[in-house]
Amino acid sequence: MNNCLRRLPTKAVLAASLAFAASGAFAQTATEAELARRLDALAAELANVKAQLAQMQQKQSQAPAPVAPIAAAPAPASVEAAAPATTVEAAAASASTPGYSGSLFGPGTVLTSYGELNYNRPTRQNQNATADMRRFVLGYQHRFDERTKVVTELEVEHGVASASDPGEVEVEQAYIERQVTPVWAVRGGLFLMPVGLLNENHEPTAFYGVERNFVETAIIPSTWREGGVQVLGNFDNGLTVQGGITTSFDLNKWDATSTEGKESPLGSIHQELALAKAHDLAGFGAVNWRGIPGLLVGASLFSGEASQAQTVEKARITLWDVHARWTPGHWDFSTLYTRASISNTAAFNAKLVGNPTLIPKTFDGFYVQGAYKLWSHEDYALAPFARWEQFNAAKSYADLGPGLTPAGARAERVVTVGANFQVSQGIVVKADYQRFRENADLNRFDLGLGWSF
Amino acid sequence: MRIALAASTIAVAVMPASAFAVDYMSAEQAAKLMFPDADAFDMRSVALDASQLQQLNAQGIHGRSANWPLRVAKKAGATLGYVVTDDVVGKVELISYAVGIALDGSIKQVEILAYRESHGYEIKLPAWRKQFVGKDASSTLRIGEDIANISGATLSCTHVTDGVRRIVAVIALARRGGVLT
Repeated sequence: MNNCLRRLPTKAVLAASLAFAASGAFAQTATEAELARRLDALAAELANVKAQLAQMQQKQSQAPAPVAPIAAAPAPASVEAAAPATTVEAAAASASTPGYSGSLFGPGTVLTSYGELNYNRPTRQNQNATADMRRFVLGYQHRFDERTKVVTELEVEHGVASASDPGEVEVEQAYIERQVTPVWAVRGGLFLMPVGLLNENHEPTAFYGVERNFVETAIIPSTWREGGVQVLGNFDNGLTVQGGITTSFDLNKWDATSTEGKESPLGSIHQELALAKAHDLAGFGAVNWRGIPGLLVGASLFSGEASQAQTVEKARITLWDVHARWTPGHWDFSTLYTRASISNTAAFNAKLVGNPTLIPKTFDGFYVQGAYKLWSHEDYALAPFARWEQFNAAKSYADLGPGLTPAGARAERVVTVGANFQVSQGIVVKADYQRFRENADLNRFDLGLGWSF
Repeated sequence: MRIALAASTIAVAVMPASAFAVDYMSAEQAAKLMFPDADAFDMRSVALDASQLQQLNAQGIHGRSANWPLRVAKKAGATLGYVVTDDVVGKVELISYAVGIALDGSIKQVEILAYRESHGYEIKLPAWRKQFVGKDASSTLRIGEDIANISGATLSCTHVTDGVRRIVAVIALARRGGVLT
């Protein structure tokens, strides 16, 4: 950079001397040939200096400023437009690999966001049509050093959050991650559980359809997060291993008078690290393999006590899933099966008999989905998709004795057909139609607008 | 098309590289890995003029920069190929990578030098990077076309692939201009 600054006056001096040489030459009646030779020599030298100057300027402008208080995530093509480096560290970083065009440091702090605006119009009961600012999320990632960062997301659901409004304000993620070795990293804080395909990749640009699929909403309570410690390993054979200890569910939150537990059993008793009861902890593990390009195969397991020492009875919640995604060429296929169980529900339900929503013993769900990128031009891309889901949030109940044990619910089956239209990388417009086999009153058209950066 | 020796730049730039956990290798190590037979790597800079940048744009490639520093792998004075290092943004963080290009303009190797995102480390997997080997400026070099995506790392895959396509096109332009031989 200093070298670059030193070159600046050189350029001016050179330009001035060129002009002087030209005018002076005529005054001294030198031959035209001599003049031309001298001019050519000067022009060549000037061109050389210009080239070096341009190179210096490029190197200077390519080093993003680590001291920038907030830098919006730069577009991929605009790395070179980041603010010039102004610190010794940045200069040293860009200098540590000779001829290396970039910096070893990215921006210190990056603002991130995603949002979803959804319109749902039931075809049979269209008086229930809604338009919703479903999610508005602001987050930041701040890098303390090359190995350590904090990642956060703050979410507002349904537009307005107040005592008289339906919205909620939630901290969706807030964790510190430390890269300990090139393979192993440790996370601590409030993080998304590595379960299924959607939970950790839940931005609207990352999934097909206006709404998140039912299996990963009703059975896996996306966006599911817990507080705790997690170890992550990324191996060269394509294996990613995650495991840790976290907070667990609180079964005492079960509201037998509400239907919420029928819609998402675990979603109704999750704690989201909001003064979470933490007598009982949970363990989890996840394995994902991406050793063949375009293929992802994975599984996860979560198990934790959920009575939180509030009752004499103990209950353990266990959830597992297996999933796969395959993206050959323009195709995008995915499938997932998940199953959850709650132990000792008979003891809990015995006190709830007579209420509409007892605690299920098991619940599960399965889906298969196919999408095809039909058309693309520059950043535009149109991808129609179809998804078939089957899920049962109350598959079976523990035996309470004859006449008292509720029958397991019938599995709901939903077919969704629609398309994602990518307007630009990070912006998606979606439309789909959802047909419910059990409860046809829920059949609906959906429209959505989403972004993520 | 101009080639300028960047010796003065190198003199300023030389200092010990720090060992960061997310930096898998240095540009020098990548160059040696790609051209193990080379006995020297000359630092050069390819400078594109306005018309060449326009040519890139016509191919749907954002030239991004007029100047492209690169390493020329040499053995006993003969050129073996080129190594270009570059950065792209993954989702929110920079990914540093190097592309080795053989004398015929085809991709010899792609190496990830540093990766900092919380997800998508898998782009450094050999199986993913191998997809680039042998492809050249006439190849599509796009995610979902001739390069398979990695689930959960779509943005990282897309941006590295876009970057490789740009580098291959720049080298092809330089070779057509007769400067890189």
